[in-house]
Amino acid sequence: MKKNTFYLVVGCVALALLAIFWYSVEVHSPFIVEAAFIVAIAFIYLIRKKVTDFIEDERTAKISEQAALRTFQVFWVVFCAFSIGAVMQILYVPAFPREKLPVRAPEILGPKMMGYFQLGLLCLMIFLYVGFRIYYARKFGDWETDEE
Amino acid sequence: MKNKIKVFRAMNDLTQEDLAQAIGVTRQTILAIEKGKYVPSLDLAFKIARNFNVTIEDIFQYENAPLTVDID
Repeated sequence: MKKNTFYLVVGCVALALLAIFWYSVEVHSPFIVEAAFIVAIAFIYLIRKKVTDFIEDERTAKISEQAALRTFQVFWVVFCAFSIGAVMQILYVPAFPREKLPVRAPEILGPKMMGYFQLGLLCLMIFLYVGFRIYYARKFGDWETDEE
Repeated sequence: MKNKIKVFRAMNDLTQEDLAQAIGVTRQTILAIEKGKYVPSLDLAFKIARNFNVTIEDIFQYENAPLTVDID
């Protein structure tokens, strides 16, 4: 398979996912789009292996590796901080009944806002990866030009 | 790490693309190595050296730290 065909297939998969997302919202079933997303990514990984004109050498592998590592190093801290806060909110139990404590857990983020915040975290992860990838690609000479 | 890939390419009348194809990497990788932006792995260094029928030391020179031996 050629590289352009692969990009075309990825585009079609993205459109199909968008349609499934819309349907999933219509029938109020998040599992449909979740399952479709996993299947779509697995499919893309599978056809990615069939592309013949992708040249990946150790330098490009190192760029991807470094970008992924740095993204992970930054992202897990942000994600853990958010998750700890969310878990504390869910598991809120007044431990000392003698003291006057509020009956309801102090709501930092409502469930709806948590969803949006998670979406924001996902975008942050993508931006971090793209940013680090550009940085390492530049560091390892991706945009170097020569007289040749 | 300094290298003489450009010199050896000129001696063997090879373009960056030719060398890249011969050792299975991209032209950009050869360019990055030549410009000192990327230090190749030992495996790739051997491939480059063998492509020119020379040793690694003929192409790559490690100049940063002088080799010292402590004798007590």
